[in-house]
Amino acid sequence: MQFDGRSTKVLVVDNDRTTLEMVQIRLDVAGFQAFGARSAQAALEVLGNSRFDAIILERDLPGIDGMAFLEAMKHLQDRRPVPVLLVGRALAADDVRKAVGLGVRDCLAKPFSGAAVLERLGRMLRKTAGAPAAAGAQRGVVYLSA
Amino acid sequence: MGAGIASGQALSPSVAATLDVLAAEIELAGARCIFLDRVIGEVMDRLTDDDRERMLQGLHGVDLLAQHLTSLSAFTRTMSLAAPADLTLPVDAAIAEITLGALAERMTAGLGGSEDDEADDADSGDVDMF
Repeated sequence: MQFDGRSTKVLVVDNDRTTLEMVQIRLDVAGFQAFGARSAQAALEVLGNSRFDAIILERDLPGIDGMAFLEAMKHLQDRRPVPVLLVGRALAADDVRKAVGLGVRDCLAKPFSGAAVLERLGRMLRKTAGAPAAAGAQRGVVYLSA
Repeated sequence: MGAGIASGQALSPSVAATLDVLAAEIELAGARCIFLDRVIGEVMDRLTDDDRERMLQGLHGVDLLAQHLTSLSAFTRTMSLAAPADLTLPVDAAIAEITLGALAERMTAGLGGSEDDEADDADSGDVDMF
């Protein structure tokens, strides 16, 4: 694995092992430093100790769901807001409105391709003031057309 | 020979859900190919000219395979969105044909079956760094 020069850290929170691995691989190949958590609880623990530049969050998680996770993130002390890309099946307009109110920057409906995730993540990071640009996008290795 | 995934009751998910799970697995296979493509590219830099020529053919094949898989995934994903939600099919016999245990477990879980608790216990609370 290569981590040198990888300044953009992305946390992927998804209980689905297939989606989690696929997104992590695509992020890694695109030049991001990717971390994965299968539960909101595990994600909150790691967020308490590390800083991330973006989070890709599944709405429907077992136990603490994505919305409750967003609420819990607010209570982490001394943290700058982290842009969140919310993903999930059948995201309704009300879900999106509520999520945006909780700090979500973009939403992506499942099922999705790896290319779609990279495109939306790159766009979200570019729009986030002060955040480092997407490493992969800078190096031109994001597989948008694969 | 199947992977031997035990199932408490017969699984009859909707065709849409089945195609959805299949699309996700094909997308993962495509992602693994893209990763392999990168690794081969890195190795090529250290090869002699003759070996590099041979490896280039392999790299081309992996690139084609990645495109093949991501295209099939897109097709299957689109079909899953078009499939009627009320149409169901039994999948146990098809799952039993899958010889790769981890794949059979993931698909079983994705199609509404129980997930392997031991595998879950091993993973629970972990944060994986790719």
